Amino acid sequence: MLGIFVIAPILIGTIAYLIRDDWAKPLVYLFQISFVLFAINQFLTVKLSGPIIWNTGDYSDGVALSLYADPLSIFMVLMTAFIYLAFLIYAGNTEYFHSKFYFLFIVLEGLIMGLFLSSDLFNIFVFSEVSTIVVSILIMINKEKQAIYDGMIYFFVNVLGSSFLLFGAAMIYRTFGLLDLRAIHAAIPLLTDPKAMILPYAMLMVAVSNKTAVMPLFSWLPKAHGTPSAPPVISAVLSGLYIKSGVYLFIRFNQMFEPAINMQPFFFWVGFFTSILGVIMALGQRDIKLFLAYSTVSQVGLIIVGLNMGTAIAYYGAIFHIFNHALFKSTLFLSAGLIEKEYGDRNIDKIRGLLKQMPWVALAIILSVLGITGAPFFNGSISKYMIASGTDDFWITLLLNIINFGTILSYVKFSTMLFGKRIKPTYILPENFSLIAVVSMGIVTLLTGLFGANFSDYFIGFSLEIDTLEYFKKGLIYILMLLGSIAIYKGVLKRNQFLLRIGKSELTFNGIVTVMSGYFIMILLFLIVFL
Amino acid sequence: MNFIFGEIAGILIFFIGLCGLMINKSILKTIMSLTVMESGIILFFITINYTPDSVPPIGQAQEAAFADPVPAALMITAIVIGIGITAIGLTMFMHYKQKHGITHWTRDREQQGRGL
Repeated sequence: MLGIFVIAPILIGTIAYLIRDDWAKPLVYLFQISFVLFAINQFLTVKLSGPIIWNTGDYSDGVALSLYADPLSIFMVLMTAFIYLAFLIYAGNTEYFHSKFYFLFIVLEGLIMGLFLSSDLFNIFVFSEVSTIVVSILIMINKEKQAIYDGMIYFFVNVLGSSFLLFGAAMIYRTFGLLDLRAIHAAIPLLTDPKAMILPYAMLMVAVSNKTAVMPLFSWLPKAHGTPSAPPVISAVLSGLYIKSGVYLFIRFNQMFEPAINMQPFFFWVGFFTSILGVIMALGQRDIKLFLAYSTVSQVGLIIVGLNMGTAIAYYGAIFHIFNHALFKSTLFLSAGLIEKEYGDRNIDKIRGLLKQMPWVALAIILSVLGITGAPFFNGSISKYMIASGTDDFWITLLLNIINFGTILSYVKFSTMLFGKRIKPTYILPENFSLIAVVSMGIVTLLTGLFGANFSDYFIGFSLEIDTLEYFKKGLIYILMLLGSIAIYKGVLKRNQFLLRIGKSELTFNGIVTVMSGYFIMILLFLIVFL
Repeated sequence: MNFIFGEIAGILIFFIGLCGLMINKSILKTIMSLTVMESGIILFFITINYTPDSVPPIGQAQEAAFADPVPAALMITAIVIGIGITAIGLTMFMHYKQKHGITHWTRDREQQGRGL
């Protein structure tokens, strides 16, 4: 039955494209609501009776192309279905919500589901290739000059990444005669020499690192996620959900190779530097969308750090952070869309007085900024607490605090938009539905934080016990860091031109490909030396 | 021993294509390099696990070993996807060239249409 997750959105999207607009819209909403219900149903099934396997053509497991739902993947599916509902509510009354748009938008939902559920290397290749096409068309949907340039860079870089994936799959098939992730996982201990896995591992890691946009490979991300002319919903779905499919594949592939290859120290540092570089680049942006895109880079870095700490609590903390980031980054991007509409401007330095001008949007922004910086009682604090509990080492704790300090610093810059005088005298109410979507997502940020332990217990499957004293200490550190970063921002960064100049640096397409080859060689060398 | 066989050739073609992507600034040559890479993958895929004298898995022939049909099936899909990728890449390129007259990757922010 898992096939419905993939095929239903594609079918409904096509039907909605073909029929009249005023019939298509109710169909789309009806579909999305029933889709959420179906996702809940499947989630409960997995929770009560264990993983579901759906083999095509009734072939035996391991041979067939199969979809596989275990607690992790079904959690991702549930998250995607819910956040997509919020996106559709947001987009409902906007001018870009026409047939071409929602056709591609809903097809993309099916493809993301496919990436989360596939248990097969070749299917993963197909889904990632097709979703690359859909995403690049969505980016350039307004046919604006810069959007086409950015879309082309996104398209070619990701097609290149997928070719690495296909080549890695070919090498694995050569060794095992298998393509199924679980079957390969079972077969890897039978290898006499783990060195045979070096080349395929490096290929697959280049592919997923490119999709995840870690340190040297993130150049395409701000271009794709921060394209000014793309509707805010598209930026939100890319930054909130689609990037998570890369992180998810990263988890899956590393699980698959676990018996032979363990690269956790390497990826820990890659994640750390991704985080720091993301913050530095974010501080160098004036454009609100580019700022949020670079902030995504830094948060993904934090997730990668959490995944590679080597302890269960940090791993589940990272998974919790995947969900949290999906929530607050979507809210921020959607709010940014409303702000741009109201002010007609995307420059952080020029937008002032949000609290008076657009109180509801300001509320959503405050909630999600508190979430992303990890303020006490918000969901970000819970996941960051879990990641930080994964280590006793002083230096690693320090590194995590540096990451969080960077996040707070960059969002102090972002929050300057809230204060100041209102610019326009009249308050033009934006679409009510958009406001409802944005504010309710902001409130969910608070709720999942307040009931963080229960949430983690029920949805992620990790029973979390929060040490009150430790949590309180983290809250104090948060307040200190907040004060410190306000001081640093006011004192040093506000008039600093240096960061703005750094923020403009970028790689050309050839540079991106060269860096990707360098990354490939780096992984190869690391494995040859340490395996 | 003969070193020129399908797998080695496939790997070489793949990396020649990668090299082309690194060197060429022209968008059209980027698309061509991607196609070259893809044909390297296809060559690699269909020659793996090939044993001489194997027969196609059709009919009732018992005298020789069957060739593995899975790579061929996968590669037909990959070829179809590859055609789609090339077509869409060319469409984007043509649109971009006709509207804005740009044929090469550039560092120039104005040419990319970037503000701020």
